[in-house]
This record gives sequence, C-alpha cells and structure tokens, in this order.
Amino acid sequence: MSAGWSIFPIFAVVAAAMGLMSFIAALCDRKRLAQWLICGAIGVLSLFIAQLWIVLDRPPMRTMGETRLWYSFFLFVCGAFAYRRWGYSWLLGFAVMMATVFMAINYFKPQIHDQTLMPALQSVWFIPHVSIYIFSYALLGCATVLSIYSLFGRRDVEEAMQSLTWGGVAFFTIGMLTGALWAKEAWGEYWSWDAKESWAAATWLFYLLAMHLKQSGYTSRGLRTAVMVVAFISLQMCWYGVNYLPSAAESVHVYNR
Amino acid sequence: MSRYSLTSLLLIAVAVVLSALLEGVMPFPVEFFRFPLNVILFVLWGWGIVELHRAGKRSVITRYLLSRQATIVSIALLAVGCLVMGLHTVPATDSYLFVLLNLFVITQLAMVTLRGWRDSSGVRWLFTLCHLGLLLALIAGFWGAPDTRIMRAELTDEPTAIALSEDGSVVQLDYKLSLADFRVDYYDNGVPSAYEAEVDIDDSRVRLAVNHPHRVGLGEHIYLTSFEQRGEAICCVVQIVRQPWRVVMFIGILLMIAGAVLLFIRGPKR
Repeated sequence: MSAGWSIFPIFAVVAAAMGLMSFIAALCDRKRLAQWLICGAIGVLSLFIAQLWIVLDRPPMRTMGETRLWYSFFLFVCGAFAYRRWGYSWLLGFAVMMATVFMAINYFKPQIHDQTLMPALQSVWFIPHVSIYIFSYALLGCATVLSIYSLFGRRDVEEAMQSLTWGGVAFFTIGMLTGALWAKEAWGEYWSWDAKESWAAATWLFYLLAMHLKQSGYTSRGLRTAVMVVAFISLQMCWYGVNYLPSAAESVHVYNR
Repeated sequence: MSRYSLTSLLLIAVAVVLSALLEGVMPFPVEFFRFPLNVILFVLWGWGIVELHRAGKRSVITRYLLSRQATIVSIALLAVGCLVMGLHTVPATDSYLFVLLNLFVITQLAMVTLRGWRDSSGVRWLFTLCHLGLLLALIAGFWGAPDTRIMRAELTDEPTAIALSEDGSVVQLDYKLSLADFRVDYYDNGVPSAYEAEVDIDDSRVRLAVNHPHRVGLGEHIYLTSFEQRGEAICCVVQIVRQPWRVVMFIGILLMIAGAVLLFIRGPKR
C-alpha cells in the first residue's frame, strides 16, 4: 500500500466515525466509553500524522492542508479535554464536527502536498512554533463558541470559557514569541511587521482585550462576545486570510506557494 | 459617558489631527532620534513615569493612566493599529500616529506595571512577568528603533567593506568581507534544500548558513539570506543587522514566555 496522503481517507473516516460514536456515547451518559472513543480518534490521527512525517521526511507543518490536519487533531484534543474536565458533551460534539469538516476539506480540496522545505524553515523552532500556534487556534475557537453560547445563558459556561481563553492566550503568546526568537535567528529582526505578524498581533490584542474587560470590571457578556468574535475573525485572517492579501506577497508565512 | 472615556476620545482626536498636520510638513525623522538623543529622551521619560507614580492619586494624569478606561483604550487602539498595519503593503511604523500610539501604550503599560508590583497580591509574579516582559520588549522596539540598522552586502571573492542600508544609502563597514567557498544542495524539483557559505571577515574564516548567523562585536550579526549565479561565479547576499537594544528585547521576550507559562498553569482566578 502506498503511503502519505493517499491513505488519508481511511484514517479520516475512522477518526470521524470514532468521534461521532464518542459524541453519541456522551449523549447517552456513557462517560467512560465516550472518553475511550475520542482517545481512539486522537490515536488514529496521530498514527496518520506520524506516517506522513516519516514519508515526507520533514515535519508536516508547512502547507495549508498540513496545518488543517493539525487543527483537526487539536480540536479532538480540546473536545476530549473539555468533556473530561467539565462534562460538556455538546462541546465535544462541536469539536468533532469541526474536525470532520476540516478533514473533509483536506480530502476534497487537497492543496499541493509538496515535499520541499525551504532552508529558512529548517530550524529547531519550526515544530514548537507551528504546533503551539495551531493548538492555541483550537482553544481560542472553542472559547469563542462558548462565549457566544453564554449569551443564551442556558447553562453556566463562564468558568470553562475563561479557562479556554486564558489557556488559548497563553499558548498564542508562546507561539508568537518562539516565532520572534526564530525570526531573530533567521533574518535578524524579532519583529518586522510582516502581514502575518501584524494579524497575529491584532488577534492576540483582541483576545487580551476580552480578558482585560473582565479584569477591569466590565461584565457585559454581549460586549465581551463582540470582542471575542472580532478576535476570532482576525484569527482566521491570520491563519489563512493573509494568503490572499497583497500585503503578504513577500511573506515567508504564505502556505500556498 | 465617564470623564475618563471623554479624555480618551479627546486624546485620540488630538493625536489624529496633530499627526495629520505633521505628516504634511515632513515624514517622521527616525534618524534624528538616533543615539544619544533616544537614550536621553528615554531617561527623561522614565523619570517622568517614576514621578507620576510617586504623585499617585494627587496627579490627574496618574489617575487617568491608571483608570480602567485607559487600559481598555490602550489595548483596543494597539489592536486596531496592528489591524491597519496588516492591511498595509508597506508597514507604516514611521508614521506620527503610530509613534504617538506607541508612546501612549508604553506610558500606560509602565504605570500599570509599577502599580501592579505593589498592589496585585497573590498574582504578583504572574502579573509582573507578563506586563514587565511586554513593557521591556516594547521599550526596546520603540526607543531602540532609531539605532537599528539593517544593511545588505553582496559578497564575491573580491573583499568588500561596502553595504547598502534599507533607504539605499551606502554604509562603510569596519571590516572587510569576502566569499571563500559556497555549497548548495537541491531537491529533485530544483528548489534549494540547503546552502552555506564560508566567509572571510578580515582574516578569520566563518561558516554562514540560513538560521545560523555570525556575531561580530556587540549587537551586530551577519545573516546569509540568498545567493545568485552570475555566469561562472556565485554571488552571495548577506544581511548585516545592528541592533544594540536586542538584549533588552530578548529579556522582555523571556519574561513574557515565563509569564505565559504561569498564565496557563494558574488559569483564571476562581
């Protein structure tokens, strides 16, 4: 059997199915079973990522499709964690659904999965920088959904929303700073206002704003959610939106070249 | 609307009008603020911050800078500033508006950091690492910007001490550079996979590769950026970066990373 991306459909279908079954088990209050199933889904995707890494002979973190793969993976992780920690079956279901959508995009619209890795990306910073970032994207995505959910006030999700935001901001900060340290080593400047950097800074500051609103005593959930939604849109710009901006034409951060 | 929100709006309006007027007179003279002027101004600014902190609630400026409105305005404006920067093809870092915005943000952040060290019981380390880290990084970026020089030089086997700075002016280096040897590997599809250069700096030979710069003196680094085939010969492009404030930036980044780790471990206050 040939390997690499060609065997992706099998792994994707198995992972999605296990995720869905985990969600159903969670709805039926079979907590233990749901946890095993979601861990199984994470395991299946880990296996795929590991074999892809070996076949490509470089970390699979460069193309758009590869970052989407990691996003699916981390969404499963976040869903599993939120379910285990706070028992949110609906958040587990949402994470599984989003992860499946991203895997489906990868299947139906594969972008060039080429094998090259330009010299600037051959650095010890590459793996921590990208994986920490994508993990924070998943956390912040879940936090934004929770914030919108809190507007309807059916159940108190305030604690989970706060924890996910703080965790997401912490990882985002580390992702950004490892990037700065790497940039210094690669071309001499910690920060050069490259389009992706500017959007990352904007995203980071909007999420910080959401955190500081609460700390400064502005308790309106509507205002907080509005800021979180702006931050989330900015995050999408930062992740793949910049690829389509003229301001990023010279950027090393563009995935689809 | 509260008094502090009005003050913020007024400050924004003044900053916008002032920058528009000044922009019409001449572009922001970054070079003018080069060492020692930036250091003198920095010391005066720091002195002002300490005095404001000492004055405490008696000073109306301190009261405003430490108000929750000022915190929100400061973060929100910087976020919007970054957004605008993200849409620009050329970063507008040298505009008056951006300079004024940064001056406001670091002033507000410095005041909050000083107060936090005294007042934030229980989360003092978390608070201080995050805020002081960012403050140091911004100080290095803001006050150090006029001293940062980025130059490019083209190296061949002929020794040269000439580099071009970003604005196109010619810079005389304190040392001579020449290319002694160059190696490049390709992927099957013709894309370079790795390259490295042996470079002579005066009489000593060093190896340069992407992600592996060489340090000359304090705060000056040489980076291999690209290469070009010129007939038989190879010409290699290096970037020379002078950034005397880099240590401050580096310490700031380390403090922020430590702060972020603490942020994750401790989580929001229950």
